[in-house]
Amino acid sequence: MKLAAFVFLGLQLAFMSVCGGVPAVAQTASSTAVNLDTQQRELQEIARVATGMIDGDVCQHIVTQRALKHMLHSDPRDEWQAGDNYDVHDAPFIQTKKTLIRLAMLAPYPVDVSLWMPVPTTQDIQLVIRNKYNLSQFWNGELDQAMPPEMHEVLQTGKTLTIQKSPGMISVLAPVRNSLNEIVGLVEVVSSAAAPQHDEQ
Amino acid sequence: MRKSSASVWLLLFVSLGCCQASDFFVASAYHRPDPFGSFVASDHAGASWNHSIQLTSARGGYVSFQLVVKSDTACSDCKLSIESAQSVDVYREWFHFNTPDKHYYPDALIPIHVPFSFQMPDPENAIQGQTVRAFWVDVWIPEDTKPGVYHGRARLTDGSVRKTVPFTISVSTAQIPAQDVLNMDSNSYGLGWLQAQYPKALAGSGRAKEDEQFHLIQQYYRIFYENRGIYHVLGYGHSGYVDPGFAPELTGTGKEKHIVSWDKFDRLFGPVLDGSAFNGTRRGPQPIPFMYMPINPEWPANYLWWGEPGYQAEFTNVVGEMERHFREKGWTNTRFEVFFNQKKRYKGFEWDGDEVRFPKDDAYFLVYHDLLMNSLPKNTPVHFVMRADTSWTMQQQMHRLKGVIGLWCAGGGMFTWYQDELPALRQQGDIVWIYGGTPPVQDVSSSIASDPLRAWIFGVDGFVRWLAVSPGPHPFQALSNGGSETLAYSGERFGIEGPIPSIRLKLQRNTIQDLDLLEEEAKRGSREAIQENVVELFDNTRLAQWKHSPSPPPAGKPVDWTNADISDALKPYDAQFPTPQPDAWQRVHDFAVKQAGRTQ
Repeated sequence: MKLAAFVFLGLQLAFMSVCGGVPAVAQTASSTAVNLDTQQRELQEIARVATGMIDGDVCQHIVTQRALKHMLHSDPRDEWQAGDNYDVHDAPFIQTKKTLIRLAMLAPYPVDVSLWMPVPTTQDIQLVIRNKYNLSQFWNGELDQAMPPEMHEVLQTGKTLTIQKSPGMISVLAPVRNSLNEIVGLVEVVSSAAAPQHDEQ
Repeated sequence: MRKSSASVWLLLFVSLGCCQASDFFVASAYHRPDPFGSFVASDHAGASWNHSIQLTSARGGYVSFQLVVKSDTACSDCKLSIESAQSVDVYREWFHFNTPDKHYYPDALIPIHVPFSFQMPDPENAIQGQTVRAFWVDVWIPEDTKPGVYHGRARLTDGSVRKTVPFTISVSTAQIPAQDVLNMDSNSYGLGWLQAQYPKALAGSGRAKEDEQFHLIQQYYRIFYENRGIYHVLGYGHSGYVDPGFAPELTGTGKEKHIVSWDKFDRLFGPVLDGSAFNGTRRGPQPIPFMYMPINPEWPANYLWWGEPGYQAEFTNVVGEMERHFREKGWTNTRFEVFFNQKKRYKGFEWDGDEVRFPKDDAYFLVYHDLLMNSLPKNTPVHFVMRADTSWTMQQQMHRLKGVIGLWCAGGGMFTWYQDELPALRQQGDIVWIYGGTPPVQDVSSSIASDPLRAWIFGVDGFVRWLAVSPGPHPFQALSNGGSETLAYSGERFGIEGPIPSIRLKLQRNTIQDLDLLEEEAKRGSREAIQENVVELFDNTRLAQWKHSPSPPPAGKPVDWTNADISDALKPYDAQFPTPQPDAWQRVHDFAVKQAGRTQ
């Protein structure tokens, strides 16, 4: 069933009107609205598939306990200690990242599918895996950050939310569940009308 | 007689009036003026306003000084002119307000043509109470200059009155070698800094704008080359996205993946790889010696195939094609660096390529080395090299990745503990650089010489300023960080479509020239004796203090160290070195020219 949906969605997306791998955002207001509307539906569909396919148990094993310990206990003598000690388990990271990439490939234009997870025992959230276009309406470049209300809502309710905060960007937030049917994280499926740029340093 | 006498009195009156209005001085390159009639605090020691200057120079290089106009009253038609037997490059100095200490410092150098008409105070710099304008003079001494004493003079015309300061350059027989003893590297990442600094030039899109952007990047290669340095710009980010032009365009997937176009890459990098970007420079055209490749965990192979046959197929197909293209183009004088900059804290990949802290991550370097070797034909004249920027686990990596990494870029502070590794690395043909920051404008002028001097004393091949093109927002209004991330500024607001140098870049260049001379001397005689002389002249230290750390690295495993541990362990080493005097390097320069003149 999952696979059928995957293939069907892929076929749908293959017929989308795109040019040169860049999101097709037309110049006129009405066609822009139509294209954005179409794009939004496509991203929502990817998010729906992501919720079905991403293994929340695997995701829970990505960030090491040692890394979490350093994130939760700051060192007044070393402002960089959390970043310097950030570490992940390779296997679950790779497995999940590959799934995220496959999901992003369902759109024939640049889409990133990123994994976000709450930081245990805090009200914060952390980006755990991102992908090559550096797209996000939420990430501030930090190891962890305050939980945006939209993400909090997804984690609490299991709803899928579509967000358009930054000009030209559409994000769809959808829950990720583990085998206990707990919501352990969320995906941000995101696309932008602007050309991607690499992050620096 | 009466009439004549009146004329004399009139002339004297005008002359005295002018003296009150504008004074004209010359100052050494190491004593930077402030805009209010004094010197910047850090350069105050030994500073004086002079009416003439005597300089020494070897051949095949630059010698520098500053001209200073002081005036308590406004001047609307001042003019500067220079007479010199040698070519001179003249710049007007820009006084930056420096946010960290709220003082003004001259740093950006705006090229001017002399004679140059100007106003006092500078309406563009717009500093309330400004009474000083300053000019930087670079005199180029060609290699075929006949040794001897050359006289020149600078003239200030203020209305009808002229003031002159003579300068004398004693050119020795010494010749500055064409090749530098150190690769003095200015590093940068991506293009964000470029777009922020050239809003006019880069506004719009299309091929013409793309060419303009590429030309701008080439101008950065050029300015650092002309100032005896090299330049790096990394074309990919922490999650693997490659900026347009920094890699050939690819098509296909798996075993069908291959390069479909070199157009952008060749337009961007072709001129620096064949040297034509440096046509017209005083050093002459040469291919760049080093260059980052776009290779990263996401390029050219899709990360999706990591650990699968498709990853190797995509990697070896594309890198093999790159080798062939470079060979066909004759780009065999450049080392193409396979360098992994990503850090897992930025969430793109599961391993650190930069500054590895966790030993398990070293395994990835082994995999990529195998992939690289499988991509290249044996005995290729194209030089690919694996590069590692290393700090926490420097010593361990130097052993574990022996034969894998060919270019080491080691944290300059921590390298003080591991200098003993250098002979073995050099023996196996590795290149070793150290890296660090850039002294801000509020530091004493001669501090710019400390890093290259230390690199020369260590015997490494280069020093990398980890970020050297990013002056921050609105640097001509205020420097937010003392300019500690830049040695060049955008010339756009002055109508120059490219970078302009800084005083610190010029002083660094002069340091390298002198180190080039000193290295020749060290090869001829006792390296230790030469270096001992140099450090004594520089800051009255001993060579042993530079070469040996009085304290060991922190105890325990590097993975458990903190930055504070490292900082504490480095303190005894750093504490050995007093702040150098402003003219510290001037003394070294004079020694270098004198020594080289005696033996060459």
